[in-house]
Amino acid sequence: MISKNKKLKYKKTLGKILEPFALGVLALLFIIPAITVINLEPITKKVTDVLGVTTNSELIFDLVGGTHEIVSAEKIYKEENGDYTYSAILTKRASDFYSKPIIKIINNTEDEKTLTFLGTTLNPTRSEIGLIIKDQAYKLQRANGESQKVEILLRPQSEYLVYLTVESVVGVQFSEEFEMKISQN
Amino acid sequence: MSILLKKTLKLSILPAILMIAGKFVGVIALIIIYDLPFDVGNQINGIFSTQIFLSNNTDTLFVNSFSDLAMIVVLGIPTLYMILNTAVLQSSKTNPRTIAKVVKFNMLKWVTGTNSTFLRIFLWSSFVLISSIITISNTLQGDTYRWIGITAGVVSLLCVWGLIKTFENETDKVYPNNKKHSYY
Repeated sequence: MISKNKKLKYKKTLGKILEPFALGVLALLFIIPAITVINLEPITKKVTDVLGVTTNSELIFDLVGGTHEIVSAEKIYKEENGDYTYSAILTKRASDFYSKPIIKIINNTEDEKTLTFLGTTLNPTRSEIGLIIKDQAYKLQRANGESQKVEILLRPQSEYLVYLTVESVVGVQFSEEFEMKISQN
Repeated sequence: MSILLKKTLKLSILPAILMIAGKFVGVIALIIIYDLPFDVGNQINGIFSTQIFLSNNTDTLFVNSFSDLAMIVVLGIPTLYMILNTAVLQSSKTNPRTIAKVVKFNMLKWVTGTNSTFLRIFLWSSFVLISSIITISNTLQGDTYRWIGITAGVVSLLCVWGLIKTFENETDKVYPNNKKHSYY
């Protein structure tokens, strides 16, 4: 009789100790599937073979990706005419200077290639948008919304990391879409 | 540990597994059926670093959309089935017409053999809601077809509506609605 009571007491105490852990497990049962499903979403990227060598293009555009304070929902895709389009959402931000590596361009050919970048936001937001390539800064869109072409020369067998820069003189209180066309001359 | 917590843990496992399985099987099945070139690699983008890469944007949109749909269907159909089952059972308890119809269509066993409780419907509806939020957010980002986002929204609204109805029925058992009974 005593041992039965003791057993019950132990069971009760163990139950009390386990309860917070059980609540944690319950929360995880909701969180883990959600994170897994988000992570299972496929991403567009040049598919490489087993040796890690890209086989289907001479000029390669790789999206850098990752997370950033103001740049989100980044995408890069090839148009039917062979041009590439990079798009992203610039979220609301305080007045500051922001930069993020967005695309890695690899020229696998033996020739020099010239690329033209033309990027703009749908509405002018008094933000200066530009690119930094090999420590050289280029202006894509001025604060008044006026956009201009940027031309860069790619040397043969070389790699370039393209940074997107956003300089806001005043805080921007809404998100905006940014789109940049990349064409080969 | 409370019985409610134990039961909740037990009942949450199946929808959690089905949610992941729906998405995973959807992605893999589409890649195999349409023979799409794919790669599994590492990218510091999400919480887990391993991700599936597809070669172009059209394939990515297609695979992501239909795998989202598979996940919604896998969770939505059982949830709506449980809600319907409970609704018919509740209605047959109060309405003689329903019980007559249930007998006529030989569905008595289907209705009485139900194990759909409010807790089970609540948990399944929660998973439907989570999957719908993910699908709708994908639609807003342009990663899923719009009609799939709308379908997810409609399914989740139906599940929430069904859940509220079930809750009303359950509370009616404790606090009966006087107006509904003819003997008052």
